[in-house]
Amino acid sequence: MSDEEHHFESKADAGASKTYPQQAGTIRKNGYIVIKNRPCKVVEVSTSKTGKHGHAKCHFVGIDIFNGKKLEDIVPSSHNCDVPHVTRTDYQLIDIAEDGFVSLLTENGNTKDDLRLPTDENLLAQIKDGFAEGKDLVVSVMSSMGEEQICALKDIGPK
Amino acid sequence: MQGYGDAGGELAQLQSTMHAIEAACSSIQMHINPAAAEAAILALSQSPQPYKACQFILENSQVANARFQAAGAIRDAAIREWSFLSAEDRRNLVNFCICFALQHANSPEGYVQAKVSSVAAQLIKRGWLDFSTGEKEPFFYQINQAILGTHGLDVQFIGISILESLVSEFSPSTSSAMGLPREFHEQCRRSLELDYLKVFYCWARGAALSVTSKILDSDLAAPEVKVCTAAMRLMLQILTWEFQYNRKGTKSINHFSAGVRHDNALTNRTDCILVQPGLAWHDVLISSGDTVWLSNLYAALRQKFSPQSSWIDSPIAVSARKLLVQFCSVTGTIFPSDSGQSQEQYLVRLLSGIILWVEPSDAISKEIESGKSGSEMLDGCRALLAMATVTTPAAFDRLLKSIRPYGTLTLLSTLMGEVIKVLISQNSEEETWSWEARDILLDTWTALLMHSLQPLHITGGGISLPPEGAVAAANLFALIVDSELKAASASAYNDDSDSDYIHASISAMDERLSSYALIARAAIDVTVPLLTRLFTERVSRLHQGRGIVDPTETLEELYSLLLITGHVLADEGEGETPLVPDAIQRNFGDFLEADKHPVVLLSGSIIKFAEHSLDPDLRASFFSPRLMEAVIWFLSRWSPTYLMSLEETHDRNDDSLLSRGHQLPQNSRKTVANYFSEYSYGKFVLGTIVRVSIITFTSYPGENYLQGMTCYQLLHALVRQKNICVHLVALESWRELANAFAHEKMLFMLNASHQRSLAQTLVLSASGLGNSEAANQYVKDLMGHMTKYLVELSSRNDIRSISQQPDIILSITCSLERLRGAARASEPRMQKSIYEMGLSVLNAILVLLEVYKHESSVVYVLLKFVVAWVDAQITYLEAKETAAVVDFCMRLLQLYSSHNIGKISLSLSNSLLSDAKTEKYKDLRALLQLLSALCLKDLVDLSSDPVESEGTNISQVVFFGLHIVTPLISLELLKYPKLCHDYFSLLSHMLEVYPEMVGQLNNDAFSHVVETLSFGLHHQDSEVVNMCLKALRALASYHCKETAAGKVGLGSRASDPRNPSGGTENRIFSRFLQSLLQLLLFGDYSPDLVGAAADALFPMILCEQSLYQKLGNELIERQANPEFRLRLTNAFQALTSLNQLTCTLDRMNYQRFRKNLSNFLIEVRGFLRTK
Repeated sequence: MSDEEHHFESKADAGASKTYPQQAGTIRKNGYIVIKNRPCKVVEVSTSKTGKHGHAKCHFVGIDIFNGKKLEDIVPSSHNCDVPHVTRTDYQLIDIAEDGFVSLLTENGNTKDDLRLPTDENLLAQIKDGFAEGKDLVVSVMSSMGEEQICALKDIGPK
Repeated sequence: MQGYGDAGGELAQLQSTMHAIEAACSSIQMHINPAAAEAAILALSQSPQPYKACQFILENSQVANARFQAAGAIRDAAIREWSFLSAEDRRNLVNFCICFALQHANSPEGYVQAKVSSVAAQLIKRGWLDFSTGEKEPFFYQINQAILGTHGLDVQFIGISILESLVSEFSPSTSSAMGLPREFHEQCRRSLELDYLKVFYCWARGAALSVTSKILDSDLAAPEVKVCTAAMRLMLQILTWEFQYNRKGTKSINHFSAGVRHDNALTNRTDCILVQPGLAWHDVLISSGDTVWLSNLYAALRQKFSPQSSWIDSPIAVSARKLLVQFCSVTGTIFPSDSGQSQEQYLVRLLSGIILWVEPSDAISKEIESGKSGSEMLDGCRALLAMATVTTPAAFDRLLKSIRPYGTLTLLSTLMGEVIKVLISQNSEEETWSWEARDILLDTWTALLMHSLQPLHITGGGISLPPEGAVAAANLFALIVDSELKAASASAYNDDSDSDYIHASISAMDERLSSYALIARAAIDVTVPLLTRLFTERVSRLHQGRGIVDPTETLEELYSLLLITGHVLADEGEGETPLVPDAIQRNFGDFLEADKHPVVLLSGSIIKFAEHSLDPDLRASFFSPRLMEAVIWFLSRWSPTYLMSLEETHDRNDDSLLSRGHQLPQNSRKTVANYFSEYSYGKFVLGTIVRVSIITFTSYPGENYLQGMTCYQLLHALVRQKNICVHLVALESWRELANAFAHEKMLFMLNASHQRSLAQTLVLSASGLGNSEAANQYVKDLMGHMTKYLVELSSRNDIRSISQQPDIILSITCSLERLRGAARASEPRMQKSIYEMGLSVLNAILVLLEVYKHESSVVYVLLKFVVAWVDAQITYLEAKETAAVVDFCMRLLQLYSSHNIGKISLSLSNSLLSDAKTEKYKDLRALLQLLSALCLKDLVDLSSDPVESEGTNISQVVFFGLHIVTPLISLELLKYPKLCHDYFSLLSHMLEVYPEMVGQLNNDAFSHVVETLSFGLHHQDSEVVNMCLKALRALASYHCKETAAGKVGLGSRASDPRNPSGGTENRIFSRFLQSLLQLLLFGDYSPDLVGAAADALFPMILCEQSLYQKLGNELIERQANPEFRLRLTNAFQALTSLNQLTCTLDRMNYQRFRKNLSNFLIEVRGFLRTK
């Protein structure tokens, strides 16, 4: 239980760590978990026992938050799992370049130009259509374990 | 000549139709272009008056399928066109079907004959109320002649099967749809039951009797066997009829009289249908000696054919046995009221035959194990179950005594013992006959023993088993426990990988254990010491073998002993405080010394065992998570009944009643309760329970199931009783738990929802403190740390950057869940501190909602805490506090809305997208719950000053809230039924209670309300439609009454005074008057809605009289058919004038209008709705 001791105080270099250990038994559906080194959202948790009089183990079904693939893992429920540090940041969408990169306005007035549009046609269409209609769009960018992706968009333009 | 030519042309026509249908039938069979073939067949049944063609096909076609389809077409067409057919046509159709079936009785394609019989039956039923008795007579004459057997066996068989179809058509559960009102079916059923059923039964019996002697002389393949089987099937079918009109001729015997037993749930469970045909059937069923005849027949057949192994499952044997079992279920007023004597004699006659099926049980079970079919034995068990259901235990036991030296209970016990022996020896996972037999026999015991559980005033004193029966029960219970223990140790090493299956079987097992407990309680003085002995043996075996032998098998045995003992000693409270079971109260009269009382000994030994888990070494060696689960389960089952029960302090009021008549040893009952009371051993036990609970939290990390059981079952049950709370808060161990909860990280390791439950439990226990100050201080100490943490965290400068760390998310979630648990425990005594607890974090919550706007799981916990807190607090708050809370709620709603409106989630994964939708649904539902909670303030207000004194208007606030929330609710989200319900019930509540608000809404909000109602009115869920109708009624009647009193009512929302006949678009009632009329006249809706629709329509008509006139006239003018036009005119006339309807909105008028509307719809919908 020693690795759980920073519950109430937070570490100074908070952003540095990519994952945090957390007891498997406390991870709930809709939480996050690292399975096979990928950040996943937990969509299903079930518990079973190792033998009738053994200890509980958790069976996780997760979905990779970036590529949507399904991953599974079984962990004894008293052991620790890695939980990914997932952050989401809102940017205003300034431009969509022809090469598939977007130009985003950060909070302090700079631009962020290193993010590619999603390759999936559906998602692409939703962003492009909104932008083409001249709406003011805010995009949420989800980042975790060194990857980034647009995960939501919101129309803030005047009605 | 011309006639001849015509006939020739017609013949050609008929032949071509026949060929077309034949071709279609064979192409369907060969899967060639089935769609076209089906269309051809459909065209036949949909063409007008296809009877001639169908009859021609039936009589001439060589293709059996074509004949089958032709019969079906007759049925479809005749049902459709029935009302247009002349009386003669109707009779001819029925006649044709009956004659055709009988004439072609020997046809090899039986299914065609069966179809024609069923068509005949359906047509007879369709015309049942049209045909006079004289018209029906010839049909039944023909059928009777057939059944008498004068035209041969085949005809006899078909005659019986026509009756079979007829009976099943008339029974509501098996009748075919005819598009007619329920009353029609009910009238048919009543008429058949009263006038024909008994006659049919006699005919069937006659047919069976007529062939009996031939069957006995020939073999099982004889054609007579088929007839006899069919006749018995028909008799069985008639006996399973749900008799309802048997009270005719007897004095008003109500449903609750002695004849009927009260345990409906029981009869459902055992699928044993009681046959209660009433006195009128006495001559046919009882005095006729049918039972003897059938018993003898079966016995004779059995003797003759038993060498053939297939005989037991042959149709005739199966039907005969089923019928005999059904005979055993006959009960009620059919027997004269001679305190059950004639019923007993009747059952003895049956039993003397049936006994051979189950006795000698050991020989029979051996035969079955070596390959014989078990169905006869199972039917024997079923017969015992039926007899147990209709008799008392004493009468049941007497039945066998007249033919054997022992009673029926002994037989039951021996039989079940045998079955259990077989079960143990098999030890296989598959369901075999012994499983089924065990279940039936257990149900039999349950049926018998439930008698003794009935409240005393019903049975006139608890009936216990006769002494011999008690011995039988004791022996049986010993065998059962033995077999369960063997099964347990055998399965100890099974690795249950398929845990789903295990969970599914838990409830089945629970039911089984309850039956075992009933048996055990029937001989409680023997079984409790037995359980004590077995338990102590297992425990000492554990200790002796410690470190030497693998304890797993013993652990599993202890697990099942704990479950069995829990069921024997205590009942499930189901939310109420269960009493000490009757059997235990009654049977331990001699034990006045508490520490020798068997129940005390048994309970004590288990509690002592539980205490061992506190020792770390013993815990490590014995107390596996699974065994701990059983221990916790036992403690939570046992403690509400025995621990500090209030009974010993306040004697039950009905003591005098109990002791009258039978010497109830009151002292005994008190002995156990006293022993575990708060003045004696109880405090010690309570301390042990708390310490064991703490152990499950601290020493079983990650065992969610175990910890959940401790939280939800054990601890919740403890704090439900105030007298226990008093002792809990004084306990050192409880203080330890509270302290650990407030200050130590260890309990943050529990599952978040368990932490919520634990918070609730701990806060509830504060009600045991002496005064309100102490209770509030206790809550403050308990929760202060959590609120402080949230406030500090939310005011940090770097909150944005650190908030996304998983550890921070976890601790925030847990803290919020704890606050939510505490909020749910609000009681007047702790109200103040819980209010302050919430108040101190309100700002923090808004900050967190902003910070976590993308983290839906945190958002949900935030919202749920606010809902729980507002819901629990709102009624207590003073005006100023209310204003603050309301203000906070509105800020919360606006903030949530600004984050989510117009937001689209993007993801590659469909399941993540649908998860996002589900999360949104849950959030919105929470927001609606929050608004509903605010509504509460106007209904219940415990504060000293009215809310208005601070300028708060709850209805305005809630409408404003709705205005914020509704744009977030998409049509897509309304597909979640719960959200849809919540939304419409809130909206209709608001419109019903505050109709005046609608007039004050701005245009946007108003049109939103109108659109929503219009959407709801056409919703498929009738509950939603109902709520919309209620809202409309409230609005319209409000407007009516206001305008009648010279006020504006809904003002311009309802009518435009400048342009009264102008556009109806913006006038709420004109719009809904139109759409409601449209729906009522042309739409599909549940008939249950007509009442509510009438209530809404009536005031709307009064509001919009001229429009109503106009709509009515339009509708009338649209009718081309003069007859329909007249009917419609009259119906509209009647709708507003019949039953002295007047223009005032009072209860009487609403009622009259309901009646009028329902008549109106019955009159006009038939021709207005065409299809």
